[in-house]
Amino acid sequence: MDFAGALSGDHLKFLFNGFMVTLYIAFISIVLSFIIGIIIGTLRYAKIPVISKVLALIVETIRNLPLLLIIFFTYFALPEIGIKMSITAAAITALTVFESAMLSEIVRSGLNSIDKGQIEAARSSGLTYIQTLSKIVMPQALRRMVPPIVSQFISLLKDTSLAVIIALPELMHNAQIIYAQNINYVIPIFILVSVMYFIVNYGLSLIARRLESRQA
Amino acid sequence: MIQFAAVNKYYGDFHVLKDINLKIEKGEVVVVIGPSGSGKSTMLRCINRLESITDGKLTINNTEVNDKKTDINQLRRNIGMVFQHFNLYPHKTVLENITIAPIMVLKQTKEEAEKTAMYFLEKVGIPDKANSYPSQLSGGQQQRVAIARGLAMKPDIMLFDEPTSALDPEMIGEVLDVMKALAKEGMTMVVVTHEMGFAKEVADRIIFMDHGQILEQAKPAEFYANPKEERARLFLSRILNH
Repeated sequence: MDFAGALSGDHLKFLFNGFMVTLYIAFISIVLSFIIGIIIGTLRYAKIPVISKVLALIVETIRNLPLLLIIFFTYFALPEIGIKMSITAAAITALTVFESAMLSEIVRSGLNSIDKGQIEAARSSGLTYIQTLSKIVMPQALRRMVPPIVSQFISLLKDTSLAVIIALPELMHNAQIIYAQNINYVIPIFILVSVMYFIVNYGLSLIARRLESRQA
Repeated sequence: MIQFAAVNKYYGDFHVLKDINLKIEKGEVVVVIGPSGSGKSTMLRCINRLESITDGKLTINNTEVNDKKTDINQLRRNIGMVFQHFNLYPHKTVLENITIAPIMVLKQTKEEAEKTAMYFLEKVGIPDKANSYPSQLSGGQQQRVAIARGLAMKPDIMLFDEPTSALDPEMIGEVLDVMKALAKEGMTMVVVTHEMGFAKEVADRIIFMDHGQILEQAKPAEFYANPKEERARLFLSRILNH
């Protein structure tokens, strides 16, 4: 093991750059999939004829495929039908598609968990369906969704490492390049990379816990 | 004011409401009693279309409730409803619970709506709870807030669906007192309940239902002294002699 060699200034900078790519890809995908997940989950909850059924089919298909396959598909198969993307765009697209499907299920079950009596009370006072959804059901459901949504975000952040397969220069990718030079770098680099993932993800779960206890 | 004409309702093959004919006048207090599963709550919930009817005609002030052209939200403004399980919004304060519909539906200003809300909170006896959350209140207090929430829309009709059935015995009185006061002020009320004392004291008319049918309609004194229907007699003997 060669800690000093493995963790040289250049290597640290290279790892840090990779980590920034990881965080950047994760952040964009989180924002996009959160928005799309809420829209799809709500549309499915609302049981709109045709639309809800079609969305159900799409969501179920995506949820039952491995993310790795979706990443491959986005980067290698889509160009065959004329959709070409950069590595970064492909990674964001694949992650967003997959995580939106996962989040939409969290949103849908969160909405379903709200007592029907709440809806009856609101509707019987003259509120429209949309008003009932946005003022009564959604705010209560969102509070319940916080823990599963955050844990989905943590998964997403870790899943960015799968994009190593299309050579996205994220943390795992850059780590590989470093330890490929020297077998003695492997363990030090793995330890450092683990610490980096851990700090961010553990931070996220602490935030989730705080949000949970505040609403209790 | 409320009129059922030959109303039937089915849940699939199950015939829940059978040929309901009922006319409720303005200012009348009608108490609906009967064994559980007799269709009392279903009938009540048809009035504001929480349940739809299968056939027949149901009108409120000559507006057909189940007509596609009827603006149901417009109709519901005018009908307050109080539920067995209160159904207060847990994420909103008492004041917000009461003001949300007046603000969103009647387009009142926040100040106006809060003034009205405080007026009705005084009326149900808990103005000091305005800024509490429902979970901080007792069951009786929650139900009184629910009544204030219904009244804040200044409805012509108030529906009560077993308003005291989920309450501890010592809290039933405070809710019934509010309802009695409301009845004395001339509110049109339809009340599904098992509170025979309330029915005797306040009702203008008792409706007895069983198996989806209205079996008997009578003034309370008449009904309790001499129920005509065998099933009503049996029901009363079970409820009163224990």
